[in-house]
Amino acid sequence: MRPGEPLLDVAWIADHLDDIAFRLGQHVLIAVIAVAVGLAISMALALWARRAPWLRGPVTGIAGVLYTIPSLALFAALLPFTGLTLLTAEIPLVLYTLLILFRNIMAGFDGVPADVAEAADGMGYRSAERLLQIELPLAVPLIIAGVRLASVSTIGLVMIVSLLGKNLGGLGVFITEGIQTFFATKVYVGAALSVALAIAIDLLLVWLERRATPWSRARAARAVAAD
Amino acid sequence: MRSRRMLALGASLLVLLSACGTGGGSKPTIKIGSDGFYESQLVAEMYAQVLEKAGYTVERSLALGARKVTSPALEGGQIDLKPEYIGSGLGYYDASKPSGDADANAAALQEILSGKGGGITVLDYSPGEDTNAFVVRPDTAAKFSLTTMSDLAAVQDELTWGLPPECETNPLCAGALTDTYGIDFPPANLEALAACDAPIAEALQNGAVDVAELCSTQPAIAQFGFVVLEDDKQTQPAENLAPIVRNDFLAKLSSSDKTAFEKLLNDVSAKLTTEVLTELGVEVAVNQKDVADVARDFLTEQGLL
Amino acid sequence: MDVLTATLAWLLDPIHWSGPDGIPTRIAEHLAISIVSLAAAGLVALPVGAIIGHTGRGGTLAVNLANLGRAVPSYAVLVIVLPPALQLAPTLGYEPSLGLSEIPTFTAMFLLAIPPILVNTYGGLREVDRDLVEAARGMGMRERQILFRLEAPLAMPVIVGGIRTSAVQVVATATLGAVVAYGGLGRYIVDGIARNENDRLFAGVVLVAGLALAAEGLLALVQRLLSPRGLPSAGEHAFRNLAEVPAPPAFLP
Repeated sequence: MRPGEPLLDVAWIADHLDDIAFRLGQHVLIAVIAVAVGLAISMALALWARRAPWLRGPVTGIAGVLYTIPSLALFAALLPFTGLTLLTAEIPLVLYTLLILFRNIMAGFDGVPADVAEAADGMGYRSAERLLQIELPLAVPLIIAGVRLASVSTIGLVMIVSLLGKNLGGLGVFITEGIQTFFATKVYVGAALSVALAIAIDLLLVWLERRATPWSRARAARAVAAD
Repeated sequence: MRSRRMLALGASLLVLLSACGTGGGSKPTIKIGSDGFYESQLVAEMYAQVLEKAGYTVERSLALGARKVTSPALEGGQIDLKPEYIGSGLGYYDASKPSGDADANAAALQEILSGKGGGITVLDYSPGEDTNAFVVRPDTAAKFSLTTMSDLAAVQDELTWGLPPECETNPLCAGALTDTYGIDFPPANLEALAACDAPIAEALQNGAVDVAELCSTQPAIAQFGFVVLEDDKQTQPAENLAPIVRNDFLAKLSSSDKTAFEKLLNDVSAKLTTEVLTELGVEVAVNQKDVADVARDFLTEQGLL
Repeated sequence: MDVLTATLAWLLDPIHWSGPDGIPTRIAEHLAISIVSLAAAGLVALPVGAIIGHTGRGGTLAVNLANLGRAVPSYAVLVIVLPPALQLAPTLGYEPSLGLSEIPTFTAMFLLAIPPILVNTYGGLREVDRDLVEAARGMGMRERQILFRLEAPLAMPVIVGGIRTSAVQVVATATLGAVVAYGGLGRYIVDGIARNENDRLFAGVVLVAGLALAAEGLLALVQRLLSPRGLPSAGEHAFRNLAEVPAPPAFLP
């Protein structure tokens, strides 16, 4: 902190509202893309793993190992292939969501009672119909729980993208710049907005979950209480 | 204003997604990058503004985290141009090469870069530089009567040293300290902290280290009144700033355009004295002005815009 | 493949196995900060988790707060804590070097370790059959006895599960300390990046991953020993809160 610097420089914030809004928007966009793509990939993997159960272990294992690679090394390795693009920024973020999303989708499918599935077969549902009309809706609460966790976690992780410069950095740019130039206000703005964003997205997804699964409201309430 | 920024956000993401420049118009699009350090961003912004004035379309990729990102980006053509410190840029490829001789550093850097990414050209370097500075607090300087680096040897064990993690393998750091100044490496009390960063300056100011490697233009020196010890045996590398640009970009220009392009950048370099770099650093890092505004004000004042 | 061979060669070189920058020293430093942070987090999170778990009050709030903490990267915690930790050294009379390295690293790791322990302690206690608790009350057991003799033993495997998650996250993330001159295995990662030495960098990554796996294995064993029925394997259940999700380790700027 600079000598004599106020704890929070309100004038700087007032002067940079559009910059802050821009970074916030960028942060949201990068996180949303990561979670959406991660969800699509995890869903595809989960559907595949339902048919080929041997896949489950390796997918979970690889997703875990990916967490141990430092982001700087990962970016440096990706650069020659994908350049300074959004793609380079998204690849690690998407990979980091897989662990959460894949596991929760699988657990969601596991949670469909065997007799329900059999009853659907007995009623003449085809495999795709059974998936879409019976199993998926039953798995939704756990899938949304996974999306909530992946979203909050990704919002924190987008910070690493500031390694790829100002074009892509999101709120992480404030944190790096604040550290570099001894300007605590920037660090606080970056960290506080990131938390506020996580709260907002989490509440949005809770609301969505209630809308999507009216039948499970009572059960969900119990599950939360049991957490 | 806000909606314009959001549009810009959308547009930049689209550009990044498609990742292909459209070469419309007479002047090609140039992709300018910089290291994460604010000074590098500032100089890159100057290049960008003079080129925009001359009719080039500029795509900025500023504040790329570290040389581990910028070097592959330049070699791979994700950026065409960036400002480079001729000493550490050279040291990235060969730690044994950099010296106190700016001409030698620029020539050696040119030799290495000729073979990278299809050829990269080093243009004129600035008269000013931002080199490594070994600094102490005024109370330490007074207590041990320190003015030059040679004074350090006698009191080396009484001081806690803040040196960067790469010091041990860098001939200009551990090598210079040991061979030229007779200081043992590693020193008895050592904290490994990245040079020129905020934590090392905080650590020095608050007494966690007593002598630290900072950058000579770093505003923290003036802010906290640190004393820069004279490198009396000239061990530290010349760290002048030079534009480095991909040859395949230069090849897109007609020969008259190429001469004009090089002149634009060389004219910027010529204005960058050590005093200028230090003053502008204060504007950015102390007065918290935006890099683009500081660059524009300076270029306007110098008649380059 | 070059990197793999170079990393292996680096790890096998006896020169890297001794001295102040040797692997045993770095592992000892890494374990020291991890264990101290975990123990401190346990001292806070276990009682708080036990109280909200036993009474059932404030649980949702605590769980949500714990989850949202993950939106603040440990690196930001580190740099926010650094200046005051340095400035307070003369006033509080500790060595400035503690304010530079140990205090910021400890604080970041302490805050990282709290959520899993808190959430699991709370959740473990809530999972204990309420009828059982009521029966105990009916038999005249006092609240303290119910907590220590009934709920805590039944919840122990879940609580240890939380400690296990915390331990893995802390071991993986304590690498950050190297940025503020703390030792530990992060030294190899930060130095490897600074020196452009990939063998050192990836040797650090491998060692951190190995240590995290060892912590995981050890605590999984403890968990199994404490669990009378045996546990469902880790891959089977869904993540219900962020505290269970491993944090990406070398979460460097």
